[in-house]
Amino acid sequence: VSESRGRGEARSPGATVVADRPTPGVPRPYHFPAFDRARLDNGLGVIAVDLPGRELVSASLVLPSGAADERESEGGLTILMARALSEGTRRRSAIELVEAGERLGASLHAEAGWDAISAGVDVPVGRLASALDLVAELVAEPTFPAAEVDRLREERLNDLLQARADPRRRAEEAFVETVYAPGSPYRRPAGGIRETVEQIEAAACVEMHLRRFDPSRMTLIVGGDLEGVDVVALAAERFGAWAASPTAEPAAVIPVSPGLQELRVRVIHRPGSVQTEIRIGHVGLPRRIDDFHAVSVMSAILGGLFNSRLNRRLREEKGYAYGASAGFDLRRAAGPFAARTAVNTEVTVPAVVDMLAELERIRDEDVTPEELAAARDFLVGVFPLRFETPPAVVGAIGGLVVHDLPVDELIRYRPAIEAVSIVAVRAAAEAHVRPAEAAVVLVGDADAFLADLENAGIGPVTVEREGPEAADGR
Amino acid sequence: VPVPTITFSDEHLPNGLRLIVAEDHLVPVAAVNLWYGVGSKHEQPGKTGFAHLFEHVMFEGSAHVGKAEHMALIQAAGGVMNGSTWLDRTNYFETMPSHEVELALWLEADRMGTLLDALSQENLDNQRDVVKNEKRQSYDNRPYGSWNERLFAALFPPEHPYHHPTIGSMADLDAASLEDVSAFFRLHYAPNNAVVAVVGDVEPDQVRAWAARYFGGIPANALLPVALPDLSLPGTLGGEVRTIIPDRVPLPRIYWGFRAPVFGDPRLDALDLAGQILAGGKGSRLHRRLVREDRLAQDVVLFSMGFVGGSSVTAGWATARPGVELERLEAAFWEELERVGREPVSDDELERARALTEADELGALQRVDERADRLSMYATLFDDPDLINRMLPRYLAVTASDIEAVCGAVFRPDNRVVLTYVPTGAAARSAAAT
Repeated sequence: VSESRGRGEARSPGATVVADRPTPGVPRPYHFPAFDRARLDNGLGVIAVDLPGRELVSASLVLPSGAADERESEGGLTILMARALSEGTRRRSAIELVEAGERLGASLHAEAGWDAISAGVDVPVGRLASALDLVAELVAEPTFPAAEVDRLREERLNDLLQARADPRRRAEEAFVETVYAPGSPYRRPAGGIRETVEQIEAAACVEMHLRRFDPSRMTLIVGGDLEGVDVVALAAERFGAWAASPTAEPAAVIPVSPGLQELRVRVIHRPGSVQTEIRIGHVGLPRRIDDFHAVSVMSAILGGLFNSRLNRRLREEKGYAYGASAGFDLRRAAGPFAARTAVNTEVTVPAVVDMLAELERIRDEDVTPEELAAARDFLVGVFPLRFETPPAVVGAIGGLVVHDLPVDELIRYRPAIEAVSIVAVRAAAEAHVRPAEAAVVLVGDADAFLADLENAGIGPVTVEREGPEAADGR
Repeated sequence: VPVPTITFSDEHLPNGLRLIVAEDHLVPVAAVNLWYGVGSKHEQPGKTGFAHLFEHVMFEGSAHVGKAEHMALIQAAGGVMNGSTWLDRTNYFETMPSHEVELALWLEADRMGTLLDALSQENLDNQRDVVKNEKRQSYDNRPYGSWNERLFAALFPPEHPYHHPTIGSMADLDAASLEDVSAFFRLHYAPNNAVVAVVGDVEPDQVRAWAARYFGGIPANALLPVALPDLSLPGTLGGEVRTIIPDRVPLPRIYWGFRAPVFGDPRLDALDLAGQILAGGKGSRLHRRLVREDRLAQDVVLFSMGFVGGSSVTAGWATARPGVELERLEAAFWEELERVGREPVSDDELERARALTEADELGALQRVDERADRLSMYATLFDDPDLINRMLPRYLAVTASDIEAVCGAVFRPDNRVVLTYVPTGAAARSAAAT
């Protein structure tokens, strides 16, 4: 390919553009879609949300009991058990289930997170009834074949090996292990660690399924164009005969982690790394808090918006990073708060100093009226965009169910965000961002920055050089 | 399954800008998706990475927009935005609450017309640093992170513009002067090299008026379109390329790459369905064989990337379970690929692949951003935005013998690149011990 000569020059100069920024039109009213709630005789909750024009409907059966509810000795079992729901039922093998779903053009899924287990399907509305048959089979009649559970366990163990080699995952795992005390489920990855995953067998899945699954604690949520579809009748036909289980285990009380008493720096040495993965934070907040909306605005300003303080400083001013962010992972109990970035090795220490300075500044100074407006306007304005499709609407309603939030939570969202003041943002920052008690976790080439790090006097530093990564000679 | 037909208007402004508008008033949201007919294939040797660099520089301000103000304005309006760069094209897009669409059009026009008024050495240096960190984060500091660059380098000869990665060479970026970068912009970022699609809760006449008002004063570039050299390539690689790559990974992984029919060729449609049958989920042949039955692999993937210049790429990988002989893994993978080129897939497999393709299409097209993206894509690459309505029928018309024919032509030993990542040092010992 040869260079063309001079062709860049000949473009006629003098584009005329309109200098005046347009003013917005009149917003069309938007309300989060209304939904109906019903309850079957066995206690199963049923929510139908009609979304005219959405022929691809989304259905999700939610049990508000997740990985945080498992015992420490069974860490990883909830997520593995949920994945194994689709590995065979009393009527069908795993492959027969998959093929039955595919013939409907339906993708069946079953999964778990910290707070919930869910099984569901996205399917054209004309095939909803047949797809719900499959969902009912998964949740009520799983067989947990030993060979498949063994395979899923091996896959998780291999995944843990992969996680150690990936600097991002290594940093996340080291971070929660540093900020949460022993005994807290949040100290481990939701999928469990080697020592407990190795113990998982099919019998444990059978036993956990018996002890957790109870229709009276579960909710089926269906969203899409439901004209002429009687969701409650569909649910009753498939789930109505499933007996409530009065002995099912109640949600666990998740122990509160005290957090660190002082800032601590933990370095995982990864020789030759061209970047350092940085996590700075501490035990954060649960989903159900009184100042949820102020926290949302505050974290948008600190590390959520493109022009958040962290991204502006680290990316747009310094060029240290592709991006920097911060936020709260709001769970049933207090999930982590973390600021995150990855920077080129040589600027590791200045980047940590900058990030800590921003965590202090959001506490020490009021945000500007412009910052407040930017965050509020974004959160309010983007609200309708978040719920364009059935899976998004169903997922949001699932969140209400899991956290036992009032039905009008999403209706209240925009007025509540609009009401957040500078004072409320400052109060949220002072109460919930605590750099003095933060863990600073760095995964990178310690030899390149350790001396600077110690000289910077940020806090006591520990360095871990052992492990497979340390000795591989790169 | 009723996949709705998308109706749209399609016209050119006097300066060559192509405007496509599709109405949909279901939710008060609209998408703007602007495609420029410039990708990494338009870059000159020694000046690689420019198309992608612009994906950053385009957010650094223009005559009436300050540095990073583009994002601030979009987000304050409740919108979301981004850009993407690929071998054949770049695009810039916003999804907005519908009463704020005009803002997105104004912002796109301001940077198309006046970006260079605001481009400074300081902003260029800053975004160059950001791009270097993007490369470190997305490629260099990631296990197996070099596969993409290595695969394309092996599938395309050095003189072919698909040989180099979109993120470019960091040495080229370091050497780029403000004038080099400006010249690239002046050449390619003109209305007669752009398609803007607006989809959603809008009135088409209003959108036309806005487009004329904001883009109408930006002159066309008479030097466009740029004549690219002949990009055609032999249909097959003409010999196997094998490389073993020691990397900081605990488990070995084998990547395969193949030359494939160009984007737009119906044979690529058949290859897409073959990808569904071979590796599209838990019921697929490769997943069943490698992951479930023989338990050789932790995961398996196979997909095609469509390109218009010379050849597309079909790529796949499988991660070996600890202790598995790589020869066995490779043989099993290869056996499945050869088989699909040797005997027809079953009616049931084809029916399932069609049903899933149909549902995927229905799911994707319900979003306004996806519709805008595809309208601009088909207009930019094929001068035929109505392909948005004809692709699904094309997929549904694919027969078992179409699949057999294309797989037989693509999955050949003399058309494959095989990259084998093996663990270095202690990482290897640790995995072997488990």
